Order: sequence, then C-alpha cells, then structure tokens
Amino acid sequence: MLSRYLMHGMIVLLATLALVSGCSRKIVRPNQVPQGPVAPFGAGQISEQELQGVQAELRIVYFDYDKYSLSPEAQTALQYNAELLKRVPNVNVVSEGHCDERGTSEYNLALGERRARSVVDYLVGLGIVPNRMTTVSYGSECPVDPAHNEAAWAKNRRVFLRVSR
Amino acid sequence: MNNDNILSDLVPIRSIHYKPHLCLLHFPFLTQILFGFLLFLVLGAFPCEGKLVIDVENPNLAKMPISIQDFVADGASPLNGSDLAAILKNDLYVTGLFQIVEVHAPVTPNSTSEPDFEVWSRQGIQALILGNFHVRGDELVLEARLYDVPLRKLELGKRFTGQIGDHRRMIHRFGDLVMERLTSVPGCFSTRIAFVGDSQSREVYSMDFDGYGLKQMTRNGTINLSPEWSPDGRSIIFTSYLNKNPDLWLMDLTTQRLFPLSTRTGINASGRYSPDGSLIGLSMSFEGIPKIYIISTQGQIIKRLTAGRGNDISPTWSPDGSTIAYVSDQAGSPQIYTVPVSGGQSRRLTFQSNYNTDPDWSPRGDLLAFSARIDGRFQVCTIRTDGTDFRVLTDKGSNQDPAWSPDGRMMAFSSNRDGKTLIYIMDAKGQIQVPVSSLTGKGPAWSRTSQ
Repeated sequence: MLSRYLMHGMIVLLATLALVSGCSRKIVRPNQVPQGPVAPFGAGQISEQELQGVQAELRIVYFDYDKYSLSPEAQTALQYNAELLKRVPNVNVVSEGHCDERGTSEYNLALGERRARSVVDYLVGLGIVPNRMTTVSYGSECPVDPAHNEAAWAKNRRVFLRVSR
Repeated sequence: MNNDNILSDLVPIRSIHYKPHLCLLHFPFLTQILFGFLLFLVLGAFPCEGKLVIDVENPNLAKMPISIQDFVADGASPLNGSDLAAILKNDLYVTGLFQIVEVHAPVTPNSTSEPDFEVWSRQGIQALILGNFHVRGDELVLEARLYDVPLRKLELGKRFTGQIGDHRRMIHRFGDLVMERLTSVPGCFSTRIAFVGDSQSREVYSMDFDGYGLKQMTRNGTINLSPEWSPDGRSIIFTSYLNKNPDLWLMDLTTQRLFPLSTRTGINASGRYSPDGSLIGLSMSFEGIPKIYIISTQGQIIKRLTAGRGNDISPTWSPDGSTIAYVSDQAGSPQIYTVPVSGGQSRRLTFQSNYNTDPDWSPRGDLLAFSARIDGRFQVCTIRTDGTDFRVLTDKGSNQDPAWSPDGRMMAFSSNRDGKTLIYIMDAKGQIQVPVSSLTGKGPAWSRTSQ
C-alpha cells in the first residue's frame, strides 16, 4: 500500500515538474488526483510528498455558468479546505480561477479572477491568513475537459487551489 | 531571435511611378501640356454623374460590375498572370462593393494598347482592370491599370518595381489605390491581422488580411492573449503568462524584444491603444475588482475610469479618443457601456441580449461591433453608438471577437461554423464572410498601418 501511495505521489510530482507554462490543464484532472488519507503534519517544513498529499486532499470548487458566487456545495468544499489549511500553516495556496469555453477570452479572464477572489475572501472569513493566498485567473484557456458539452463545461468552471511552500 | 520579424523579410517596393496617362508619355512635354488642356476641355463637357464612383453611403448601393483580366506576362515568368489577377479579384470581392464579372477579352491587350471599350461596354462592365508584368532575374516589374469603361478613359495606372516575392504586396497596393480612387478611402489590402493560435499553445500569429504570409510572432510556450497593434505598426501589446500572471507585455516588432508594461497583481488584460497611440486602456484587478484604467505607454497609471461592483473589461476607444466603450456585468450580465475618457457617468448601450461582450469601435466612429449571445450561440452584431440600429451579421455556428479593418469596411472575427475555430473576414454588412486563417485561432486584431 505504501509503495502505491508513493507511486501516486511521484506521478503528481512529475506532472508538477512538467508544468512550465503555469497552465494547470495537464495536472488537475480530477481522476488523476489520488484520494488517499491525509498524513498528520507537524508545524515545521513539510516534505514535497506531504505537500502533494495536501494538494490531493484540497477540494476543487465548482461554479454555475457566468457566476462567481459560492453555492452551498462550494462553501462546504471550502470549509473542508479551510480546516485542512489550518493544519498546515506553512503551506501557501494560489487560487486559480477558471471558466468554461463559452463567452469570450477577455470577459472570462475577468470572471475567473472574480471566482479566484471569491474563494480567497471566503477562506479569509474562515480564518485563513490573507497573505498565505494569491489569485491568478486563467479564464477559459485551461480546460480540464476539452469537450464541448454541459458535462465538460461544469468541470471546467472551477477554482483550483495550488499549494506551495 | 527565434521569432520571424513580420517586417524584416519584406523588401520595400523600390519605386511606385504614377503614370498619369500612358499614351501621353510618348509625346514631347509641350505636346503633353497642349493635349492635357484639350483633354480637360473635353472631359469638362461630360456630365459629372457619369464618373466612376462608388457611393458607399447609399443604402441601395448596387455592386459595381468590374472585370479583372489575367495579367499578361511580357516574356517567360515563374508567376502566373491569372494567379495575380485572382489576388486582386479576392481583394475587391470581399469588400462587398463589386460584382466581379468573368468575361474574357477577345484580344489580349498589351501594355501599350488601349482596350476596346466598346466590347466591355456591351457586357455591362463599368470598371476594367488590365495588367502586365515582366520578370528579369529576381526582379519583377508589374503594371496595372484601372479603366472607366463608360467614359472610355484611364482612371489609374501604376507601375511597381521590386522582387518576385513582393508580387502579392504589389497587387494589394494597387487594390488599395483602386479603392481610394473609387470610394475616396484607401483599401486595407496591405494590412495584417494578428490573432491567438487556438491550439495546445496560445502563441500570437499574424497574417496578411487575406490569410497569406502567416508568421508566428511569439514563441514562449505559455498563454498569450488579446494582441493589439500599436497605431504606428511598430509594436504589439498582448497579455501573457510569461511570469505566471496575466501581465501586459509589449513586443517591439523591429527588434523582437519584449517589455513588461503592466505586471500588477491580478489581471492586466485587454490592452488597447488610444487612436493617437499615446495611451493604453486596459482592465486591471490589483484593487480587487477588474476595472478599466488608462496607463501611459510606459505603464504608469494615468487614471481609473470605472467604479462599482461589476467586472469591467475589454475597453475600445472612439476614433476621436474622447470615449471608451467596455464590458461590465454590473447589471448582472455582461453588457456594453460607454464612459467619457475625461471622466463621468457610464451609460449602458446594449439591451438586446443578456450577454454582450468584445466591443470594437469602428474607425469611422458610427458603429460598435460586438458579440452577443443569441439562442445559446454567439453572433457578431453592430449597433450605432447611440444604441439604435442593432444588427446581427452572422448566423452559422458561434462567432466572436469582431475587429474592424482600418478603413472601417470590413471586420475580422472568429467562427466555429465549419467545426474548427478559424479567423474569418466579412464586409461591414456581413454579406460576404470568408475564412482566411490556415490555423485555428481567435482574438483577431487588425493592424492600422499598411506594410
């Protein structure tokens, strides 16, 4: 079981290293994220593997079309994320806002920014220190599912919290 | 540098001679003056309504029947005369102002002979274009002439000298002059369109307005968006994630060097030059909500133009520089608003759809083009700047990102009507719509200057 967990960790790590453009499209497919239990963390520096464990555990937040308000499901996911982040005070996050392909690049860039900021504002309200978080909007440029249908669009309207030390 | 400079490989056309009247050149100077005076007297007697003019403001405008004959090669040539004519036919066709009549001359004219106007007149041709060319080594000399068939006279004659590789530019240049002669506004056939490649990477490309001469402008492997030409054509600005944040960058097209213009926290997006090139309007979110700002061309903030709770993005300047139109969702859905650059209240312009984005102010000042969501798909529309005369110009597939040509006669836009998302061009009324990009692409920007 341990080796399987390590392998999952390695895959995530390699995918992270492969990421040079900042575009998250290659590594945030939900089915690639391991769903293992979160190991206990100390207050000091955490290892890369532990960091990826946090990454895997953080929930992706989804949005309605052309909306940046947080649904009850989104709020539940963020409450879970807030509890997790409180346990790892040395981990910072980038709130990455994304949109589905409908609409125009520029408007979606603004919409993605608002989604990313909605998430940060909500996490601040739950007690996460603001200076642990930054935002970046990718608009509609990095879909996790490139298909042109409702199911794909629903997956692509999201905020992904990317961890760093 | 690895990027091809779109200007570097273009050898300037060395000379453009205007030939006032080809026949006159064979006579001594004094005779020319005398003949010119006689010509003036004769032409003065003609009624002026017979002149070859396209009144583009006329709503009942009939297309002008024009014939463009295959260019005639003087001697052996690697260029094909019918290919040369085809470039010009396409130029004039896409303006929507001409009916290209395919008739062939009974006798092949050469550079010294006048056409048999009677033959063309019988076919209902109003304008006739003849051309000839010869190639010596790498050098190409090309002559083209526009005739007014009813008046039986030469309207325009030009000779171009350059390299063989310049042949498309020569023809486009002649087309620009034909448009200027017939409509008093030069054509835009010598301009280029920049766009964002819509594939795995998001690099900026540029091409001639008709899709030829494709060049990759950026080569950084990251996301690049919203290219915009500087009014002098020397640089482009665009939003890029080079530093992992959507920052506004400038590329000097002569040196290929990149300069960061605005790298503030949050988005630095949809940069647009003021018409005189001295200012840039853009959307930034470093104060929280994306708002419209004006910055200098060095990147210093001049002022914030909009306020409130809406996402404000995609500014576009009126041609006199006094007003900016932009997108805001302050009323709950994205709509187009205008605001005076000097400051003041915003005014909502669009009410026709619950999703209106991507405004582009016509260089003539009277219209705004934008994309509206209609029945779940996006269509390119125009509206007068007072909010009246809403028109839907497209209906197949989704059509977005309209960008006016510098003469205000055409628009570039992206469309997925045939599966892949390509850059299309159309005339201002949407009568003629043709794909031009060989790559999938979006976000076209039309250069203000001729190459």
